[in-house]
Amino acid sequence: MKTGNRQIWLSLGGIGLLAGGLVLLIWIASSGPWLFDLGRAKEGAENRKHYVAVIVKSTTSSYWKSVFAGANAAKTEYNLDITVEGPEDEEDCQAQNQMIDRAVEQGADVILLSAVDFQENAQAVERAVLAGVKVVVIDSDVDSDKVSCRISTDNYQAGRMVGETVLDTDSQAIYVGIVNFDQVSANGQQREAGFRDAVAGDGRVAIVAAVNVNSNVESAKEATREMLAAHPQMNVVVTFNEWTSLGVGYAIKELGLAEETKVIAFDSNVVSVGMLETGEVDALIVQNPYAMGYLGIECAYRLINDGQMDQQVIDTTTTVVTRENMFSEECQRILFAFD
Amino acid sequence: MSKAGGQKKTVVQRLSLSVIMTVVVVTVVSFACCVGITAYLRIYRASVEGNAITGSEQAIKQVHSTLENYAKDIEEIMGLIRSSMGKEEGEKDDFLRNLVEVRKEVVIITEYDNHGNLTNCWQGDNRLKEKILQNLSYMEIPKGEEGLFFSSPHVESLIENYYPWVVTIAQRMKNHQKEEVLVCMDIRFSNIASYVDNVGIGQHGYCFIMDGAGGLVYHPQQQLIHAGLKSENWELLTGRPDGSFLQEDGIYTIQSMENNGWKIVGVSFVDEMITSKLDGMAKIIGFLLFSMLLATLLVGIFSSKLVSSPANKLMNAMQQFEKDAENFTFCQVNGTREIAALSDSFGHMVVQIQNLMEQVRREEVTLRKTELNALQAQINPHFLYNTLDSIAWMCEEGRTKEAITMVNALARLFRISISRGHELITIEKECQHAESYLKIQKYRYKNRFTYQFDVEEECLGYFCNKITLQPIIENAINHGLDMCDEGRICIGVRRRGEDILMYVEDNGVGMEEDRCREILHREASDRTGIGIKNVNDRIRIYFGEKYGLHIESELDVGTRVEICIPCLQEEIGTEG
Repeated sequence: MKTGNRQIWLSLGGIGLLAGGLVLLIWIASSGPWLFDLGRAKEGAENRKHYVAVIVKSTTSSYWKSVFAGANAAKTEYNLDITVEGPEDEEDCQAQNQMIDRAVEQGADVILLSAVDFQENAQAVERAVLAGVKVVVIDSDVDSDKVSCRISTDNYQAGRMVGETVLDTDSQAIYVGIVNFDQVSANGQQREAGFRDAVAGDGRVAIVAAVNVNSNVESAKEATREMLAAHPQMNVVVTFNEWTSLGVGYAIKELGLAEETKVIAFDSNVVSVGMLETGEVDALIVQNPYAMGYLGIECAYRLINDGQMDQQVIDTTTTVVTRENMFSEECQRILFAFD
Repeated sequence: MSKAGGQKKTVVQRLSLSVIMTVVVVTVVSFACCVGITAYLRIYRASVEGNAITGSEQAIKQVHSTLENYAKDIEEIMGLIRSSMGKEEGEKDDFLRNLVEVRKEVVIITEYDNHGNLTNCWQGDNRLKEKILQNLSYMEIPKGEEGLFFSSPHVESLIENYYPWVVTIAQRMKNHQKEEVLVCMDIRFSNIASYVDNVGIGQHGYCFIMDGAGGLVYHPQQQLIHAGLKSENWELLTGRPDGSFLQEDGIYTIQSMENNGWKIVGVSFVDEMITSKLDGMAKIIGFLLFSMLLATLLVGIFSSKLVSSPANKLMNAMQQFEKDAENFTFCQVNGTREIAALSDSFGHMVVQIQNLMEQVRREEVTLRKTELNALQAQINPHFLYNTLDSIAWMCEEGRTKEAITMVNALARLFRISISRGHELITIEKECQHAESYLKIQKYRYKNRFTYQFDVEEECLGYFCNKITLQPIIENAINHGLDMCDEGRICIGVRRRGEDILMYVEDNGVGMEEDRCREILHREASDRTGIGIKNVNDRIRIYFGEKYGLHIESELDVGTRVEICIPCLQEEIGTEG
């Protein structure tokens, strides 16, 4: 009798096991889509964790808005989280350092940085890299070899373009005034160096004045007025970023020197384009901030996934826009963004 | 198995049941999975592609109808402008100023004379540029054309510090003086752009607008395209008729718009969809296969537990039983119902066979005993005749005393040999029996031999088989002492360790070794009554193989027969 019972138990156990296996298989088969979704959700959750902090010099200029537009396009494409911030004052490297530190605290995977100060931001960058955060520099460089990748306009080359535009004239005597922005910013200095090298070989050119101003419209305007007053023979003014361009433009407008003075300015917004059209500004060196933002985030994505970049330096394009070509199809696209 | 055991095993015999089962299940499952997966993936891919194309076409149709509606709306506005053109200057002015203010998407309306000179414009609150550098809103339209013309998107170049992207719609109209004028209306493009931006097809699909010549009108990622970071396959798309087509990199759906010749292109990525889903499927299928294999393995192990290992146990048990049936004890084997039933039956069979064996053995012993008892009961008739002859002769001669002795001896001989049917009698009685026999024979052989007993006192009380000594003595007299004149027979009983040793010695002719052996194995002839073999057999049956007779003989010297039995204080059993 005992063996009979045992046999029954064994049979029941066997049937139970088989039935259990069958149920498991059916469950797996029927919940296949769910598993699939789970897989995707997990993938999503993994990516959602990747966070890129974009820290730039300013959040207000149309140049930076274009950078953000590019970054946002890439963020959507690569499924990353990004935050965008910049100091209120474009000279405030301390605020930017705090932002870098905070981004490290908040667990950023990559920091996309446009450094206010070539020197002063270096320590914060090295701290961040030491904490395991990769740093990608866009637009303005920082004095550190720990940076994973640099994406910017070739500033020296852009400076040379300014120089070449200045030289493209019949005038025999070129008296140049330079209105540059803060001396500590790397790209402003590189542009100026490029410009000086480009015009150095030409006997017609004399650089009669060079000033460094804070990167805002007011100070640039004042400096330009003073400079023009001090050097009435000056017939060319060059300047190297969006705000100083506007300042120079306003100064020329107020002084009524649009015809007499040739102004080569940097970057574009509605006002500077208007000035280009009306003659206060004669040429705009337009960078590709959208590409910088986009490539910056793309680079961050590569760094997160592959750990390194093949290219250490990526140059974005620069275009010279003059009154003659400003309404060409290509320049329209460069100058004017969709709302 | 027993037959195959000694022979070469065939392949089939070497395979165990669970291995076969596992292999079969795995093969079937794998085959079914492969067939199923292949078929499923094919159908799945086809249906996904079909779905993707349908989805893409539907989305593009939607975009198309929305844009067509928008175009119709614009046509209506142009209709209003057209009707206002025929009115008086003041009325027309008011109407168009209002139109630009009310319809926010209208940026500016311009009017040109036959030579293309700007004669009039309405731009709402915006200020017209003092000096127009370039008029992008002017479109050359052949004279006499009545229809609407659409420009590519461009930047508004007429208004001060305001550069929205616009599309110019131009039409030749008649003013109130019936002169032909060209009217251009700039419509803000951002409405269309933001609409196109939000069109999604599938997971990553999108749509964009190109013109009939293959130029880009609007692309959601046009800044990337302008920056050279992305490109579309323009060569492929230019000149294609409407409809969907599948390329390696995706599904393209093209639909043309009626009035402006724009083409709406939808791009969706079927491979991406399929690949991502197939990845998921592969995971699931891998998991399924793995779990099936696991299940199969489990089932294999389980079935082996359930079927094979009990079967093996049973097999081993049978082999052991085969080798040693008598001392085999069977442990019940657990397993499936069939195995358990087999095991049960085998268990029963073992018990039954062992019982049968025991029974057969016992029956044989009984049979032998009965047989022996019957033989014992038989008295050699010649011995009886001769003895009775001798007694008769003694009586005739008047040797009464001798006759009485003879008769007494004979009576005792018979009494003891019957012993109320007991097989075992005391050694004392056995010796009396032997002595009675010797007495009778001594008379018959006319004192041709002498005999003597040498029995240890202590041994007298022990038991031994009856009629043990008599056949040996008979053999000694008949064969050993037949020819010799001074025969001597010596009978002894003594203790040897745990056993009792009885012996019968004669000084007769002796035997050769062969004969000694023969005697122990030869059945007694009728004449000799109970044979020596019989004695030996009886002792062995009663006490076991280590007891029995031992004969030593030397020609012309004599023979010594030793009988070894255990010390037995009481009679065991009374059978027979």
